[in-house]
Amino acid sequence: MPIKVHIHTTHRQFTNGLEVVEVEGSTVGECLNHLIKQFPGMEKALFAKKDKLLNIVEIYVNHATAYPNELVKSVKDGDEIHLVIMLAGG
Amino acid sequence: MLTPSEQERYDRQIMIGGIGEEGQEKLKRSRVAIAGAGGLGSPIAIYLTAAGVGMIRIIDHDQVTLSNLNRQILHWEEDIGRKKVDSAKTKLGNLNRAVEIEAIAETITEDNVFHLMDSCDVIVDAMDNLPTRYLLNRCAIEKHIPFFHGAVNGFEGRVMTVIPGETACLRCMYRGPVPQEKFPVIGVAPAIIGSIQATEVIKYLIGIGRLLTNRLLIYDGLKVTFSEFKVDKNPNCDHCGSPLTLPSPQPGRGRE
Repeated sequence: MPIKVHIHTTHRQFTNGLEVVEVEGSTVGECLNHLIKQFPGMEKALFAKKDKLLNIVEIYVNHATAYPNELVKSVKDGDEIHLVIMLAGG
Repeated sequence: MLTPSEQERYDRQIMIGGIGEEGQEKLKRSRVAIAGAGGLGSPIAIYLTAAGVGMIRIIDHDQVTLSNLNRQILHWEEDIGRKKVDSAKTKLGNLNRAVEIEAIAETITEDNVFHLMDSCDVIVDAMDNLPTRYLLNRCAIEKHIPFFHGAVNGFEGRVMTVIPGETACLRCMYRGPVPQEKFPVIGVAPAIIGSIQATEVIKYLIGIGRLLTNRLLIYDGLKVTFSEFKVDKNPNCDHCGSPLTLPSPQPGRGRE
């Protein structure tokens, strides 16, 4: 089973409206690279620069935080990655 | 002891197993600081007032403007131009005159946050920006009192409860500063998130239920889904990372 990446609401404009994108990789970083290969618009949505996530991005693997060092966290087939944006409104 | 009027007013919640008159008295003895009288602050303040919290200190430096009225349900057309905390004090007083409302029209800063939270049992996050949220988070950690985080954007929201010394805090997953922007929001989003925050406060003060500790709850109003994510206390967190020697705050105890 591939790895499923759950796309945040505000990013689905870059994934043709898809809420879940299937990827392959053995780390979160590799999975995100595969995501970006499929949907290049996701690069600016997630990264400030190469290998540096935007400060508002949170990454969860199997519903648990992948912080810190999210990009090198190991993942395996069947895992779920949630891409979440830190909210600040009130 | 509850007065006959209190027994009647709170009858339906006193009936709830786990609350009872003892729980109601705990609420009556409690002192809650709500930082913000806007989209989140409105439902939080309304429901904590309705539930009979003893004292609510509501802090907000803003005046009511027309664009507030899509979501800040404590404020009405007649309040435009008025200080939000004054508008809040009037409405909350009309809802429940027995609740002591302290209306503080001040900007929360590094210099005054400790003083503003003085003698409160808990701090509730009803802010509209991250830097002040972090000030509140650190103050809660240093004062060793719980911090009830909430935030919204669009139809989405998130909630987490921080118990200093025990659980992850808001700063545990800090990555760095984020740009401050005007945020889109519709009233029904802070309605849900603020109500959950108020639920957490009530549960903590009474000492019942399971709190959203080390649990980030994310709500998506467009799909009406709740997702839960496990978060961990970060030993290198620059707010809560140092070992604390004080015992953890005890739930179910208002000020004695």
